[in-house]
Amino acid sequence: MSYVVIEGLHKTYGTNAVLANIDMTIEEGEFVTLLGPSGCGKSTILRIIAGLTDPTSGVVKIEGKNMSNIQPKNREVGMVFQSYALFPNMTVKENVAFGLKMKKMNESEIEQKVKDALAIVHLSDKEHAFPHELSGGQQQRVALARALIVRPKVLLLDEPLSALDAQIRKKLQADLRSIQTELGMTMVLVTHDQEEAMAVSDKIFVMNKGIIAQEGTPTEIYTKPESEFVANFIGHYNVFTREELEQMIGKKLSGEREKFAIRPEAIHLKASEGDYRFKGTAKEAMMSGNVIRTVFQVGDRSFAVEQLHERQASLVLGNAYECYVSQEDVVALL
Amino acid sequence: MKKKGFVDLFFVFLLLYLFLPILATMFYAFATNWNKTVLPEGLTFKWIATLFQDSRFIEAFGRSVLLSGGAVLLALLFIVPAIFVIVLYFPKYEKWIQAAVVMVYAFPGVILAVGLIRAYAHIGVPMIAAVLGAYVISILPYIYQGTRNSLRNVNARQLLDAAELSGASKAQAFSKVLLPAVYPGLFAGALLSFSVLFGEFVLINLVVGSRFETVQIYLMKKLSTSGHIASSVVFVYLVLMGILTFIISMLTKRSKGAQKV
Repeated sequence: MSYVVIEGLHKTYGTNAVLANIDMTIEEGEFVTLLGPSGCGKSTILRIIAGLTDPTSGVVKIEGKNMSNIQPKNREVGMVFQSYALFPNMTVKENVAFGLKMKKMNESEIEQKVKDALAIVHLSDKEHAFPHELSGGQQQRVALARALIVRPKVLLLDEPLSALDAQIRKKLQADLRSIQTELGMTMVLVTHDQEEAMAVSDKIFVMNKGIIAQEGTPTEIYTKPESEFVANFIGHYNVFTREELEQMIGKKLSGEREKFAIRPEAIHLKASEGDYRFKGTAKEAMMSGNVIRTVFQVGDRSFAVEQLHERQASLVLGNAYECYVSQEDVVALL
Repeated sequence: MKKKGFVDLFFVFLLLYLFLPILATMFYAFATNWNKTVLPEGLTFKWIATLFQDSRFIEAFGRSVLLSGGAVLLALLFIVPAIFVIVLYFPKYEKWIQAAVVMVYAFPGVILAVGLIRAYAHIGVPMIAAVLGAYVISILPYIYQGTRNSLRNVNARQLLDAAELSGASKAQAFSKVLLPAVYPGLFAGALLSFSVLFGEFVLINLVVGSRFETVQIYLMKKLSTSGHIASSVVFVYLVLMGILTFIISMLTKRSKGAQKV
């Protein structure tokens, strides 16, 4: 049986349904991400798992135990918040030690565990600082140490990196993943950043309007989106109707699906055997570091191609090019 | 340059206009005689000493402290918990508190006094209790703003959630995390309320009468008998308000430190 099981979860506020029939399973030691746009219900699931919000109906089980009537403090679930939620009147050390003090652990043991927890998050030299004396990244590390120290069965991370700048966010993503692997802890991350989800997760649940749009490993989600929403949300896919794509490639497509998606980086300028071929005129290009995204025009339809940023520009704007895409990279959508 | 000089001059005159009466009053409290000269003829602690030897002043001071302090204490005991619950768990009811806050400002003191006398004088409620009740309500704006701002500054709901998920009960989360985090703001609101009530004159004079002497009523009576003693009362009052203001500014700075979290 799975470590965390969510069955038939519904949540409504008045007549507004926030979650509709959510089923979810999470294995022990797994790093799972709930990914979706703002307002899709992902944080509500987290709060329901923590016991901070009651579901309208449905069940949450952790290690086979129904959590329905169990108070948050007794669920053995930790949580890290986007706004850190550090106790402003306590030092870093006191913040981290809080959970152990509530468990009435003896002082020497608390001292040692706090030292270990602060070492894990690289903040050993800040134990006497107050939260307002720390940077955002440091505050979030303290919040992480405070949640980890009580060794929760499940650690919930509610957009913990959203308020941080890009560089610190990348560093903390890597730290988060390595801490999770080292401790073998089950973690559930909520984010709207698909790159972050891809970087840290074993499994991703993509959510939209209160339902799970797709679940799978990062590779499955990225390479085989099942719907137009997932294709657009996860990877800036080019989405075509059957008619548009058949017109472009000059061939009939098999199957009965009406929409198809192609990853921008799957379109290339060198032919391989069996590739679909189509022509387009390079109209505009956008450089984002290591990738150049070029928009091509075919009739009244446009599509994007992404290439690695190489020293010699390979495309000249205004020129027409033969583009190729492998048949496997044309994903039929539901 | 010319414009700046004019602004500076204007500012100096404004400060003189505002502070000269206060400084003069304070000097008068320490002046041996100040009738025909520009500056006092000499300085003395006689008037301050006389004031503190007057049992009527000590009693009036005690009544003011008791009445203002009692009203603040009652507000902390009954209004603050209600604001906590409403702001944290039933924010949709906040509009009712806001309406009550506006009503406090909307009623002039004289109308309030007449209303209190008409409502309570004939049903056996002691007028001092009626005034105390009115005081509790009149400081609602300060207590409400202080409490609500503190709760918002520290993101109180999330602090409670974080404390509970760390293993604290609701009571522990409240007493060990939330209360210490918001107390500077609460205390500042309480001190502000106390200083406002300490200077209140209209209600107590009209509803209870001048036989129940508070510091303000004592001051009014002394105005007609001894200018030096009246100035001494103002001096003591200003020192007390200065101390309260200093404490409030210290606490406000502390709250701002917590706000960055």
